[in-house]
Amino acid sequence: MGLLRPVFSRVVALVPVVLGITVLVFALNAVALGDPARVAMGQRADAAALERLRREYALDRSLPVQYAAWLGRLARGDLGESFREQRPVGEVIVERLPATARLALAATLISIVLGVGIGAVAAVRAGSALDHLLMGVAVLGISTPVFWLGLMLQLVVAVRLGWLPVSGYGDGTLTHLILPAFALGALHTGTVARMTRSSLLEVVRQDFMATARAKGLSEWAVLGKHALRNAAVPVVTVVGIGLADLLVGAPLTETVFAWPGVGRLLVAAVGQRDVPVVMGAVLVFALVYVLGNLLVDLAYLVIDPRIRDAARA
Amino acid sequence: MTRAALAAALLVVLIASALSGAAVAAKPGGTLRMVFMADPPTLDPAHATDLTSSAVIRQVFDALLELDEKLVPAPALAERWMVSADHRAYTFHLRRGAKFHNGREVRAADVKYSFERAARGKRPWVFEKLVGAREFIQGGAPEIAGVRVVDDATVELRLERPFAPFLHLIAYDAASIVPREEADRRGAGFASHPVGTGAFRFGSWRRDDQVVLERFPEHFRGPANLERVVFRVIPAEATRFNEYAAGQLDVSDIPTGRCRALQADPKLKADVAIWPTLGTSALRFNVERAPFTDARVRRAIAHAIDPAIIVNRVLEGCVAPAQGIVPPVLAGWTATAKRLPLDRERARSLLAEAGFPGGRGLGPLAYHFNTGDLNQRIAEALQAQLKEVGVALELRRLDWAAHIKVVDDGSAGFFRQGWIADYPDPENFLTVLFHSRNVGPPGNTSRYRNPAVDRLFDEADTMAPGAQRVKRYQEAEQVILDDAAWVSLYHYASRALIKPHVKGLERSPQSTAPEFLAPLRKVWLER
Repeated sequence: MGLLRPVFSRVVALVPVVLGITVLVFALNAVALGDPARVAMGQRADAAALERLRREYALDRSLPVQYAAWLGRLARGDLGESFREQRPVGEVIVERLPATARLALAATLISIVLGVGIGAVAAVRAGSALDHLLMGVAVLGISTPVFWLGLMLQLVVAVRLGWLPVSGYGDGTLTHLILPAFALGALHTGTVARMTRSSLLEVVRQDFMATARAKGLSEWAVLGKHALRNAAVPVVTVVGIGLADLLVGAPLTETVFAWPGVGRLLVAAVGQRDVPVVMGAVLVFALVYVLGNLLVDLAYLVIDPRIRDAARA
Repeated sequence: MTRAALAAALLVVLIASALSGAAVAAKPGGTLRMVFMADPPTLDPAHATDLTSSAVIRQVFDALLELDEKLVPAPALAERWMVSADHRAYTFHLRRGAKFHNGREVRAADVKYSFERAARGKRPWVFEKLVGAREFIQGGAPEIAGVRVVDDATVELRLERPFAPFLHLIAYDAASIVPREEADRRGAGFASHPVGTGAFRFGSWRRDDQVVLERFPEHFRGPANLERVVFRVIPAEATRFNEYAAGQLDVSDIPTGRCRALQADPKLKADVAIWPTLGTSALRFNVERAPFTDARVRRAIAHAIDPAIIVNRVLEGCVAPAQGIVPPVLAGWTATAKRLPLDRERARSLLAEAGFPGGRGLGPLAYHFNTGDLNQRIAEALQAQLKEVGVALELRRLDWAAHIKVVDDGSAGFFRQGWIADYPDPENFLTVLFHSRNVGPPGNTSRYRNPAVDRLFDEADTMAPGAQRVKRYQEAEQVILDDAAWVSLYHYASRALIKPHVKGLERSPQSTAPEFLAPLRKVWLER
């Protein structure tokens, strides 16, 4: 019961954040050069048809009225209609959301498993050649552009070795997911590995770790039972922040791997000035990001009793 | 058996085996795997304005006519047609037994419905020549008076005035015939579930992933060879190439900057196909915006530019440098126009005459182009060339939506523009791009107004095809080039990779890779 209040207050605090994002994105769309109706007309635009389309898209109304109308529809759960596809934006996004969710979840899983694993091994072998090698790999992962890594994976694993498909969603099988998830996950694996290593090294210097060792536990048992849990808070923070990396990386990864997700939809919608889709897709990304961070906050409460007690107080 | 009889018998056997070989070659079945660079925005012919959408629409729908490999109008849903003596009335006799994918036979009323529906779509200009079309498009008339259903199998189209390329408009995909009941029932959803009469019917469409078409066994020409066509949607050209290299695509485009390398690649050179298409890449001036109001400044820039450098160094010689506006590959066209030649001395003296000796006082000129590696490299080449005569270029790179905005509203004075023909006729290049009534978004982004040129267009547009008509366009074209309202750079070419087992894929000047607007019913797979 004591935890409900802090959780509720955090959820309430998210509303102005999300609204602020939508205002910002709407304003950016408004100042960006380009007319959605003109883009839709192709290389040759008839003046009367252009005017008709502007009226159809409600572009003849003032910007505050357009935003208020969007907000009004949003309150009713309606994201409007895509200029480009002439279909409800909700439908357009929902169609692509599962692909992005699969990709993001798989990439997160890869970054946690690989990142924590690499970080733990590096911490145990701190100062050794293996430690330097693993941290070198981690830095490489952080600094390698997603599109370059994606294309290299395609060339080696798909074209040369023929082990996996080059791109596409296929029939939704795991084989199509592996390469894009790895390319996207690699971006964040390095950060998680470095944070795991430094957190673990800090924890292993604490007195209770000496006690654990004095009880005769093996180094891996000490690490697994005592150190990892105590080192988890900063790692969870990094995983939460990593959501932003995944959101930034998703459009690129989806483009390179022809993955039919929301990121790619957003890129195309910006190019087409399909404002309702841009607003809808950004709203989804904003919600994922703020809710992801909320989950991280909640995870602190579970992991660290000190934070839980402070929240209750 | 005599020696002569034996030879004759052998000849018969050879001919028979050759004929049977030809029959075997076009074997049915299989899936053709093609690729798009972007997801089609719509599959509804009334609302399509892009090549990707058209590529699917042309397989799913038929129009009254189609263009054959030489781009000559040929029968499709209309088995024959008649033109009145004054070239203002066209009577089309529909083919009996042609069916929509829902099983219903095509009737003349479908033609009227389809034309009126599409006239209020995104390409109204296809129908605006018909009597009463403008009133209908603007909402002032309940129907297009110039479309008359004579009987179930006959429809008559009447024009305000003769228009030589009218049959090309009727063969255009905007004029595809749709079944009323399906279009009305599905409403906006018709764009996602199209129903036509084409050789392939709609199968499925996973947005941003793939469009699948299935063979329509009851097509009026008989079933297509291919069982299925899959159009993958792959935005990254490197990925498209990797898919092709991995054997997952039968057709793809050649990545930017890889044309010569692939022509020399022992594994892929046999797959490389390059053919000229109906398009021209050019530089345009807004002649209403200083300093381009002065023809001497425009001419100076035209004289300073060497398209051969751009063609050979940037485009690897895989396209042809352009002299004129209309591509020489256009059937019935004789290219006579000459662009202002490369002459930097002349450029310098023209600049001095205009009051800008050595480019002084001109300031950096903004050159607008839309994003893309190729456009960036061309812009840099232009910058270097103009520097030779003292003109500094400031490169303004914008995405397509922003680029077209500054071009349309006239705020760009010097900009890149390409033009791909909607239909194969000089009118589609010259009248559309330079007639004063088309200033702005309809096509004349140079804002060029020349009454003498307008007069030539007005005459030529209504004349019957032939040498006299061509002569007028040629005359107008040369005037425009001499006025330097447009500086031609190169004519487009399709650059494709096609697997050797893909047979029968037309490479007409209007079939652009990787979309291919060619009829896929003619394609078969030899494997």
